Amino acid sequence: MDNFINLMNGFSVAMQPMYLLYALGGVFIGTAIGVLPGIGPAMTIALLMPITYSLEPTAAIIVFAGIYYGGMYGGSTTSILLNTPGESASIVTALEGNKMAKAGRGAAALATAALGSFVAGTLATVLLSFLAPFVAEFAIQIGPVEYVALMLVAFLTVGALLGASVLRGLASLALGLFIALIGVDALTGQQRYTFGNPFLADGIDVVLVAVGLFAVGEAMYVASRLRHGPVKVIPVTGGWTTWMKKDDWKRSWKPWLRGTFIGFPIGTIPAGGADVATFLSYAAERRLANGANKKQFGKGAIEGVAGPESANNAAAAGVLVPLLTLGIPTTATAAMMLVAFQRYQIQPGPLLFETQGALVWTLIASLYVGNLMLLILNLPLVGIWVKILQIPRPYLYAGILVFAGLGAFSLNFTPVDVGILLVVGVLGFFMRRYGYPIAPMVVGLILGPIFENQLRRSLAISQGDPTALIASPIAATVYVSLIVIFALSYWMKRRQRVMESERVSEDDAVDERMAR
Amino acid sequence: MTVPTPESLGGGGTNRATAARPVGEIVFACVILSLGIVGFVAGADIRTPPSASDIGPRAFPFLVSGLLVVIGIGLIFQLLRGHVGVAEEGEDVDPSIKTDWLTVVKLVGFVIVHIVLIVPLGWPVAAAVLFFGAAWSLGAKPWWRNALTGIALALILQFVFAGLLGVSLPAGFLLEGVAIFNG
Repeated sequence: MDNFINLMNGFSVAMQPMYLLYALGGVFIGTAIGVLPGIGPAMTIALLMPITYSLEPTAAIIVFAGIYYGGMYGGSTTSILLNTPGESASIVTALEGNKMAKAGRGAAALATAALGSFVAGTLATVLLSFLAPFVAEFAIQIGPVEYVALMLVAFLTVGALLGASVLRGLASLALGLFIALIGVDALTGQQRYTFGNPFLADGIDVVLVAVGLFAVGEAMYVASRLRHGPVKVIPVTGGWTTWMKKDDWKRSWKPWLRGTFIGFPIGTIPAGGADVATFLSYAAERRLANGANKKQFGKGAIEGVAGPESANNAAAAGVLVPLLTLGIPTTATAAMMLVAFQRYQIQPGPLLFETQGALVWTLIASLYVGNLMLLILNLPLVGIWVKILQIPRPYLYAGILVFAGLGAFSLNFTPVDVGILLVVGVLGFFMRRYGYPIAPMVVGLILGPIFENQLRRSLAISQGDPTALIASPIAATVYVSLIVIFALSYWMKRRQRVMESERVSEDDAVDERMAR
Repeated sequence: MTVPTPESLGGGGTNRATAARPVGEIVFACVILSLGIVGFVAGADIRTPPSASDIGPRAFPFLVSGLLVVIGIGLIFQLLRGHVGVAEEGEDVDPSIKTDWLTVVKLVGFVIVHIVLIVPLGWPVAAAVLFFGAAWSLGAKPWWRNALTGIALALILQFVFAGLLGVSLPAGFLLEGVAIFNG
């Protein structure tokens, strides 16, 4: 009951007109930037961090809540409407959504995505409101040994499970850990890897690395293989009120709910966040469909948009549970949220609900508000999003570079930071080119110092005995579940491969028939 | 039934492209390996206070360096056996064309020019030059529209961030007297 009162207090703050405006601004800018191709939610938050430098903490948190959900949503519009077959196949929503749009049902796809996001986002935020305080209470009792175990899980799932290549994921993670070491050791005050350089003594700013990897690296990589010619956006016809027919509603509501209950639990455990959840939801909808609907899969089945899109948003809310209660980000986007919080001296973790209770509940309340705003904004404003999608690519990536430079320079107002940004950007370019995932590096960079701190505290308590790291029952349970997660993910990867090859062979069959 | 790969779509230059890629990848893996070695060498210089009751400031750097060395060696072996990485895909990435190094070099060059210009000429000038240069490198035409867009964007950002939000971006001598561009 206390939590309910706290939540209501959060609403009373978040509903103040000024903060409502901030939420609206955050949702709008988050969606607008999220719609831009190639810019995911993590990059959106990294790029927009300079905007919030001058805001007070509550306003900034509300803006970030809006950006978080808005950025998540923006991507689905891109994958439904942008006519680039093949590449966007990694985003599950695009599998069916793009086909629907090409068949002239883009409006229905956008509507079921928007409504599904709203339903899932709201339900998942309710679950978050109930679960988070409970987890926080549990988290207060755990010590450094358990933290080491939990962070190892986060490292290994993000580093080894998510990408196509285990070694490249771990390499990316290790690079992040290494960069985090540069600077002064927090416990002893010794300089590490600074080579006597005063600029390195303060360490390399996390925002610099994130913006460099996400924005500069991405701009350079796209530039190296830019798709020239006009941007082809699939046109959306009809007014937004008539987008979903009765049959569409009937086929959508169950996938929305199923997506929510697949997405939220997967978001809360460090098992890869939204990507895994959307894939599982797609697989489930495909299996559960029957008759004519089943035949539509691969050619634009609405269930294949409704389910994954809901799962995506529910997972985004689920990811906030370990982030807020344990201070452990399990996705690159969550890692960027953690950085945004740290800018304001807000340290997510078990004590957050006690020390910053009012702020956390305001954040949760503004998640509800932001979700509703997204729904209201997105359907009528689809025309604006289409315009944004059509920005000429040279201007888009030139603009990203200028904005990244602005963010880097405004950290300390020294051009040296922009130089570091460039070096990191070039690194990000080569990582993309050679198939190294970016997310593990960002997570390693941000979690590395916290991990080392907890590891050293554990070993100090045990007086250097490493067996203490697995002796605690909670830690042992975590390690066992790590093994289970790895076994499950191996099984899932195999299933995904089977499904993808099925899809490709079906496409081929269609192509052959068309050719005749 | 065969799935068209980016290479087969690319046509003639296929063999050269696939032969050239592992070299670059192996160089990158060597960079990772040598970073680990540097980590060990430089890590030995980290002073450990004698009073330290825990494992000290050196242990974790050694652990990370060791990880880099092991992964670097593993990657080099994988590459020599022919397991190359899969380049990232994206909406604006054309998988059928080869890497355009010249554009990348141009972009890096314009960012360097941007860095050099910030202090002597002010942020708006440096930003306009970066935008103009980057748009030109990426093939935007005509040049005067690139220039006008760049100037407009730089002035808007300067106005919003320095004028409205109070971020102290140096306006430069050209705009020093204009109140709305200064925080």
